[in-house]
Amino acid sequence: MTMRERLSALWRTLAWSWDPRGEREAGEAIVRNLWLHWFPAKVARVSASWSYSAWLGAIAAILFLILNVTGLLLMFFYVPSTEKAYGSMKDLDYAVTLGWLLRNQHRWAAHGMVAVAFLHMARVFFTGAYRGPRALNWLVGLALLLTTLLCSFTGYLLPWDQLALWAVTVGTNIAREAPLAGEFIRYVLLGGTQIGQNALLRFYVLHVFFIPLAIWALFAYHMWRVRKDGGLAAIEPLRLNRQMQPKQMPATKSYSLWGLARGTSAAVRSSTELEESDQVFASPSVTRRLVLVVLVVLNVTILISVFFNAPLEEAANPALTPNPAKAPWYFLWLQELVASTTIPIGSIRISGGLIGGIIVPGVLLAAAALWPWLDRSSPAAEGVWFARERRWQNATFATVLVLIVALIMIGIFVRGPYWRLYWPGTPWPPTPRTL
Amino acid sequence: MEPRQDELERQDFAWMVLASLVFFILVAIAAWRAFDTEYGPLQGRFRQILEQHNQLAAARRFRPGIRQIWNPEIGVVDRCITCHLGYEWGGQLPTDLPQPFAPHPPLPYLDKHPFPQFGCTVCHGGQGWATTASMAHVGGEHWQSPMLSDKLARRLGLTAAQLIQMRCNICHRHDLSTPGMEEINQAKDLVKRKKCLLCHAIEGKGGLVGPELTYFGDKNPELFDFKNVTGAHTVFNWSYQHLMNPDQITPNTTMPTFGFEQAQARALTLLLLSWKRNNFPPQYIPTPVEIAQPPYKLASAVGEPPMVAGAESGRNIFRTRGCAFCHTVGQGRLLGPDLKGVGARRDERWMRQWLADPASVIRAYPEFAHWPDEYDGIVMPNQNLSAEEINALVAYLSKL
Repeated sequence: MTMRERLSALWRTLAWSWDPRGEREAGEAIVRNLWLHWFPAKVARVSASWSYSAWLGAIAAILFLILNVTGLLLMFFYVPSTEKAYGSMKDLDYAVTLGWLLRNQHRWAAHGMVAVAFLHMARVFFTGAYRGPRALNWLVGLALLLTTLLCSFTGYLLPWDQLALWAVTVGTNIAREAPLAGEFIRYVLLGGTQIGQNALLRFYVLHVFFIPLAIWALFAYHMWRVRKDGGLAAIEPLRLNRQMQPKQMPATKSYSLWGLARGTSAAVRSSTELEESDQVFASPSVTRRLVLVVLVVLNVTILISVFFNAPLEEAANPALTPNPAKAPWYFLWLQELVASTTIPIGSIRISGGLIGGIIVPGVLLAAAALWPWLDRSSPAAEGVWFARERRWQNATFATVLVLIVALIMIGIFVRGPYWRLYWPGTPWPPTPRTL
Repeated sequence: MEPRQDELERQDFAWMVLASLVFFILVAIAAWRAFDTEYGPLQGRFRQILEQHNQLAAARRFRPGIRQIWNPEIGVVDRCITCHLGYEWGGQLPTDLPQPFAPHPPLPYLDKHPFPQFGCTVCHGGQGWATTASMAHVGGEHWQSPMLSDKLARRLGLTAAQLIQMRCNICHRHDLSTPGMEEINQAKDLVKRKKCLLCHAIEGKGGLVGPELTYFGDKNPELFDFKNVTGAHTVFNWSYQHLMNPDQITPNTTMPTFGFEQAQARALTLLLLSWKRNNFPPQYIPTPVEIAQPPYKLASAVGEPPMVAGAESGRNIFRTRGCAFCHTVGQGRLLGPDLKGVGARRDERWMRQWLADPASVIRAYPEFAHWPDEYDGIVMPNQNLSAEEINALVAYLSKL
């Protein structure tokens, strides 16, 4: 070897540029690696593209991972007691080294995960990706959305400040409106009839163990199903339009001739129904992109956490209702519905809790769950953004989405004391203080 | 050997390098935010101050970092001393050092209130948890107990030393008077002289006409009606203005205008705000120099109202509905007139109307319009008696 070759070999060793020799090595590297075998050896290019999925599902999963790591660290500092919880927030904010970063990142990543899960669901709907065999995974996704909401909601109580206490009060009061079992559900959730030490402990155990466990299990199944369903629905148009081309058989079939493998050779069987030209190797193409998404998500959460502190109000006071008391933002559209459908007619009061809190979200959820079986569009509408054939479906979904977002915006920005409308810019009446 | 497909490399590689760089920058910013503390430079300067004043051993021992007075017995976590480093150096360091380095003034009662036991916020208020000046002193929008600073005191027309007495009296409420608490002492004296207990119940003693005041300082600001309060919506302003002119803050209140001077009303406001629930363990509660006793005889101690044959239920109502707090029978005028012989002075119809709604009688008959002036501006409050109760009372009163 010349000096030049040696140097270049040394450099390659130092820089650890993994360079598989040929397709086979590249494929095996993925199958044999615990972390990489998550992906198939080859992935359709369109599945890895930004424009099809925007990587929203991956972003939700990365946020969940960030929440797990920051959450586990927060558990070293947090005491789930009505006397100590608020103080541990103050300790995190002021005395624990980088405690503020942990708390802020956990808070903002949690909001982000709820929002991104919503967006991911919208993406799946607008691309018609829930059809056919993927209907089951759509249901798993709905379950993931609900567990995500529940995880965020149980975490909302833990700082034990006025914001936490009263947001959870509003939320659980909505749950009470459920027919027959409502009162019981609330009693079981709170460990009593009021939010106190029992409720805090139950929410804590649910938040740090049971719900994350459920999310992990559902998430694993969700990913496994993606593989079993043949990948993202983005490949369906490719499959449909596939030109049958004569394929060159592998040069040797020695393995089957020797009787080491039955049937056709491995190479024939492992070929997907996609053209070679439509695919890329999962590693390093997709894994590199995944690392990029991880970095970007991490960067965004740190950036927000450095410049915006997680809210913390006065210590929780069950005897004093802040005015206005608002649910967490993702339930605010329900609160808005509850408030605006509570109509007094003479001495009768139409329960807004039942309409806005149970019937409307119940109907929406049922419609979402049944949608794959109601959708009668042709396979051509699968895996395509805003397929013309599904325009009425997409318009319906978009309308519901816009209405929900609008109600949330009204709840966040326009509702003031006594749930009156205060347009942005108009001052709220001053909050009275002691001194 | 065919070439490996890695066409996304061209698209992603530069972005990945960029994202990695941004990540390092953000980690640096986070570290900067974590370690660029307000207290860091101050601690460096304090070390120099120690050296300049020949406290070389202490300067050598000095380690930077967050310091706190922690006493779980009374719930104190006071990190104030992270910056206020000279607080216990009285005697060794000059008293005229600038804040936050100045030693605590050598006040006579400091011996009885050692720093490690009481911390700072017990007297001074503020947010002990915080390690930045503004969050510790003011505490932000969501902190209800700001530091009782000179600035805050000036806004209320007081000095900080006067304002802090409000917190002294949380423990010292049962002292008749306490050295060094002149405002509170004055207010306690006023409570005695103006006979507040005739209408207000405080710690189980007193009348039922006005609201109970034992834990007035714990009443939440949201529960006050600020409609007629001028200036900031604070309980301090509400109380002060209510004491100066009750009728203006709470129209149609029974409470008379006492004509307090401004300083008196401020002192009384401090006293009112000091009446808070105290969860300190018993060893922290001072033994009063002299137990506060209601300095005047309460009506209940004046004696039982006389028995009248055939009107037992009326006498019972007289005793239980609080009439005896203001009226005696044959033992002289209290807050209201002596009712001896009232049956001879007024007929039953008049009494019935009066008991149902005293204020309406005063409005209806001009000849009674001067009554409020005769009785310290007080009109008998409507006791919301039922028709049966009025009948029973009239039967009793007309035989007195």
